[in-house]
Amino acid sequence: MNKLFKTKLDAACIVLIPVCIGINYLGKLFASVLKLPLWLDGIGTCIGATLGGPIIGAIVGAANNIIYGLTTGDNITLIYALTSVGIGLAVGIMARLGFMETFLKALITSVVVGLVAVVISTPLNVLFWGGTTGNVWGDALFAATQSAGMPVFLGSLLDEVVVDVPDKIITLTIAFLVLKGLPTKLISMYNADEKIESLD
Amino acid sequence: MKSISLYVDNGTYLTKLHPYTKLLYVMTAIAVSVIIGNIWGFVIFIGLSLLALTSGKVLKKTFPLITFSFTIILVIFIIHGMFYHENENVLFQIWKLTFYKEGVLYATKIGLNVLNMLLAFAVFVLTTKPDILVEEMEKSGFSPKFGYVVSSVFQIIPEMTGTMNTIMDAQKSRGMETEGNLMTRAKAFLPLISPVVMSSLINTRERAIALEVRGFGVKRKKTYLREFKKQKQDWILMVVFLMAILASAVWKVIVCLL
Repeated sequence: MNKLFKTKLDAACIVLIPVCIGINYLGKLFASVLKLPLWLDGIGTCIGATLGGPIIGAIVGAANNIIYGLTTGDNITLIYALTSVGIGLAVGIMARLGFMETFLKALITSVVVGLVAVVISTPLNVLFWGGTTGNVWGDALFAATQSAGMPVFLGSLLDEVVVDVPDKIITLTIAFLVLKGLPTKLISMYNADEKIESLD
Repeated sequence: MKSISLYVDNGTYLTKLHPYTKLLYVMTAIAVSVIIGNIWGFVIFIGLSLLALTSGKVLKKTFPLITFSFTIILVIFIIHGMFYHENENVLFQIWKLTFYKEGVLYATKIGLNVLNMLLAFAVFVLTTKPDILVEEMEKSGFSPKFGYVVSSVFQIIPEMTGTMNTIMDAQKSRGMETEGNLMTRAKAFLPLISPVVMSSLINTRERAIALEVRGFGVKRKKTYLREFKKQKQDWILMVVFLMAILASAVWKVIVCLL
């Protein structure tokens, strides 16, 4: 259990956090430039969590939304920091358990993470947006469930599942491909289990 | 390099207030209106925020911030106006679409809540320099590591957007299509993002070494370049805000008991 949350807080890991936030920002930017119907704003969180562990993942997630709030003036994203923290923790724990090593295992991780995001986001959606998510496809489904007389919570849950799970699958696929391409020299900097041998 | 911060440096009294005073205002505006719970609470604080923004000469900068959320508020109105589960009384009809009173009322509440939060937050964001906020937080006990993370994001993002534009031009000149149907655009995503992500991750190694060399990990008390003291008006405003939260809570309890 201890090993799962072991975190190094040295300069290397601290530097990783702003870069991951930058990657999140770029993912979101590219998704909107290319007009993709997904958010893709969690790539950095996933990379940070895989490299640095769940705690770094959670910090990236929280800092990410707080800084978005500061730069876009949109304080609703502040509340979704909870979702980002959940995503960071989930990816970090899965990665420490070895679920980021092969593509198939990364896919399992992505489904787990997607469900974590749904569980945390749905109550927030209901509370702040009356159940909508701001995504065209998801909200169309939400409208359909409401006209069929389903409760708001169930409709909102379906709305999130339809949007979040595919989003997380693609996010983690990209994160996985990037991580496979990184030099070992870099990855070893973040290895929390390493021991320094002394020659004395 | 374009800054991503929204801070407007126009020297009005709002920029001279302590960041914590403005943060407390944001909390007051959200807490009091939620505690009161009816539409008037929201209206009062929306009015106050607008007043502050006007007197701080940043009202124009506020509109781009709220236009984004207007589309979402509109969607909320349409969905809840037509399909809210407590809908009974018809309010009006357009063509074949029926809007109900209960749904529209519910949507109004959500819309006002969102608008109130956005405006209160705009007062804070548009008049506070991120550097000063970070420094003040470090002074009141936050770790300097946290301070580094926040302030370096403000440097890294413009840097990365710069790299992104270079890569976008490079890939386009090689004939990559970034427009067209969904499949074409989706295919363009990975070749665009992976070079930026890779290079910035590889750069972290050098940045980490550079920070270590400059004594980033040193555990001693650090000194500050700037002084930013709380003034008399800061204390007065803080007391007023806290009283307002307290008063609304007391009022709510009394109303509940009666």
